[in-house]
Amino acid sequence: MKEKGWLKSYGPIILTGIVVGIAALVLTAAGNPKNMGFCIACFERDIAGALGLHSAGKVQYMRPEIIGIVLGSTVAALAAKEFRARAGSSPAIRFVLGLFVMIGALVFLGCPLRMVIRLGGGDLTAVVGLLGFLVGILVGVVFLKKGFSLGRAYPVRKSEGFMLPGVMVVLLVLLVAAPQLLKSSEEGPGSMRAFWVISLVAGLIVGLLAQRSRLCMAGGLRDAFMLRDFTLLSGFLAIWITITIGNLILGKYNLGMLSQPIAHTQHLWSFLGMALAGWGSILLGGCPLRQLILAGEGNGDSAVTVLGMVVGAAIAHNFGMAGNPDSVVDGVYKVGGTSTVGMAAVILGFVVLAVISVTHLPGKENA
Amino acid sequence: MRSKEPRLVISFHTTAEAMATERLCRQNGLEGKLISVPRSITSDCGLAWSAPAALRETLEALLNQHAVEAAGYHELLL
Repeated sequence: MKEKGWLKSYGPIILTGIVVGIAALVLTAAGNPKNMGFCIACFERDIAGALGLHSAGKVQYMRPEIIGIVLGSTVAALAAKEFRARAGSSPAIRFVLGLFVMIGALVFLGCPLRMVIRLGGGDLTAVVGLLGFLVGILVGVVFLKKGFSLGRAYPVRKSEGFMLPGVMVVLLVLLVAAPQLLKSSEEGPGSMRAFWVISLVAGLIVGLLAQRSRLCMAGGLRDAFMLRDFTLLSGFLAIWITITIGNLILGKYNLGMLSQPIAHTQHLWSFLGMALAGWGSILLGGCPLRQLILAGEGNGDSAVTVLGMVVGAAIAHNFGMAGNPDSVVDGVYKVGGTSTVGMAAVILGFVVLAVISVTHLPGKENA
Repeated sequence: MRSKEPRLVISFHTTAEAMATERLCRQNGLEGKLISVPRSITSDCGLAWSAPAALRETLEALLNQHAVEAAGYHELLL
């Protein structure tokens, strides 16, 4: 009976993790950038580029994975009668939080999901990001324990809940029927992509399973720290193990710090970037992947958060904040990383998050 | 191996309300603990309060008295 109980508790989330891991390996094999089968931050950045919100020519493409994740969540929620249109929980603040979570992630060069994927490829620079993410989560948990709240959401008209899924459908139609209207990289990470049907199906499957299992890196760490509950975290362990095994089998595992695909060794800012992303994710109630899932379920506040992340990506590239990968120039190893503007943006992010955190504690209702 | 028993699970709209419930219960010596809200209740990933089912009336009154809004009261085998 104990085994049945364990299976019922952990089975769905571990299965989701295994499927996400396999999907990431398949997408990379099919053309996505190395160690980037999925990256919510990078792919939302690519979508921002496709729409012309930024002009970084190497990172522009309408990523079907993001579209699939949102729509997969919508389908799963509707099928389970769990689609609930709701909104009203500090949407403007969530927009800004999403913006800074994205900046932090792009300084590191990956969302929490890509961080795990990089770890599965042997990229030890992601360990530094993980440590930063953990610290950011812990800071967020301190404020949760003090009673931090952005307020509850309220039921709204169904049309509100269907807005972001509807936008995703329009973006998909544009990609398939009128790609000439979108910007599309011809070199660099934006040009590396699987055939759109593969990407869309992978996204749909991940979105569906993530909605059913509530997969969330930030939530998993929060539950581990606050409740000693490792259920959600087990999903990410499953992703890491699956990708590690897959990369070993495929001969793509490269353990080390140097010359990792789309990664840099500016460790301090990897740490700080992911600390910003972790703290922001706790305040938002979920990591970037979880925000897409919630938006697919009809959560209007998460839809606004997603828009904030897209705008954050545009700002990051328009102002040169995003990290640059390490490179070899004329035989000399050149450390990449973020610019002075990027560093300032991360520090500003910490200040903004601190203000938001403090002004949303009990007794600060008039702040 | 601990067998399952009927438990009252209180779900909330925000984590802050769950934390406030924990504080009130500790102050009043009421048994219970914070848990991850069970998947069978909701697709949300917040916190819930798990207590002996016999405390339902006491907890409802306590939360109402302190204006802590619960999303729902559920009786589950945990």
